[in-house]
Amino acid sequence: MARPALRKVARPAEAGRPRLARLDRDRPLVDAARKDPARFDALYRKYLAQVYNFAVYELGDHHEAEDATERTFLSALAGLARFEERARPEDGPEASTFKIWLFRIARNVVAERRRGRRRRPEAPLDLAVASPAATDVEETVVRREAAAAALRAVDGLSGDRRRAIVLRFVHEMTTAEIAAILGRSEGAVRVLIHRGLRHVAGELGTLDRDRR
Amino acid sequence: MTGGHATRDGENEAFIVDRYLDSLLADRPADVTDVGPELRSAAMALVAGLPRHHPSFRFEEALAARLAGTPAGGAAGELIPFPSPVVVADVADARQVALRPAVIGGVLTSAAISLAGAAYVAWRRNRPAVDPWARAIRAAARRRTA
Repeated sequence: MARPALRKVARPAEAGRPRLARLDRDRPLVDAARKDPARFDALYRKYLAQVYNFAVYELGDHHEAEDATERTFLSALAGLARFEERARPEDGPEASTFKIWLFRIARNVVAERRRGRRRRPEAPLDLAVASPAATDVEETVVRREAAAAALRAVDGLSGDRRRAIVLRFVHEMTTAEIAAILGRSEGAVRVLIHRGLRHVAGELGTLDRDRR
Repeated sequence: MTGGHATRDGENEAFIVDRYLDSLLADRPADVTDVGPELRSAAMALVAGLPRHHPSFRFEEALAARLAGTPAGGAAGELIPFPSPVVVADVADARQVALRPAVIGGVLTSAAISLAGAAYVAWRRNRPAVDPWARAIRAAARRRTA
């Protein structure tokens, strides 16, 4: 089967230097917060749920996620003067280097917490799974089962492969954003996601076979 | 040589899958015949099945107060008549909520709430939400109680 023509896949030139790309759509909010720390609230409200969500997936515990979220935002506020926007005009108007910077702080905070509890058994990703309202009980059960299976499959992934899948599917980030957060090349992130997805497909496939 | 070709093939395949995911997450799934049905199925399961978690409103306000340098709870809201005025949410936000589950502060969104809880939610709803997820979750809650 003929393969479609592809544009060149990003190559190791970018590998050593994460692509902290994209024009910063948060520039006005960042500028305002620098002048008046009370204005940081707008950035906080904008990214709270995303940072918390990332921490929940990383730590598997809502209370720990709250602690990590708190530390992330306190660190961000304290370090706002050091934040450097690395925007390039060709990166377009939609993305935010502030968001990437914030997620890098969150990633460090989470890593620190994980190191702190290394001696204790690692808690599995045991999160409540809610289903959208469904009038059909059977449909509700099927949806919850599917959601739980997806969650288990993601939980089976290790390290950056899991992070890349969560950032892609839950946060709907672009490959470039994920690459900047994880400190990897875009090509490496694509491969992480591809392999992660194959793992999930394998797990879900096993589930389907067991049902039959 | 063979290893190099295998690596390149893997990267190309990953690139094709990435393009497919772009289209899927933009809610315009492309007909990418080079992406196997099992991968497409897994991708859709992840999009629909992985929940989004939102912190509790109590935590949100407490941390907001701390960041503002005020004592936690110092920015308490005033009680407003219930039910509160309805604010129409973005259609795009509503779509996202319809696609996947949402969990607020570790509690299922379908959990029953007390009268005091209802009053708190009413106050909370009346506050403008900057975050699109928060807007979407509130929109979903409104639809459910409508």
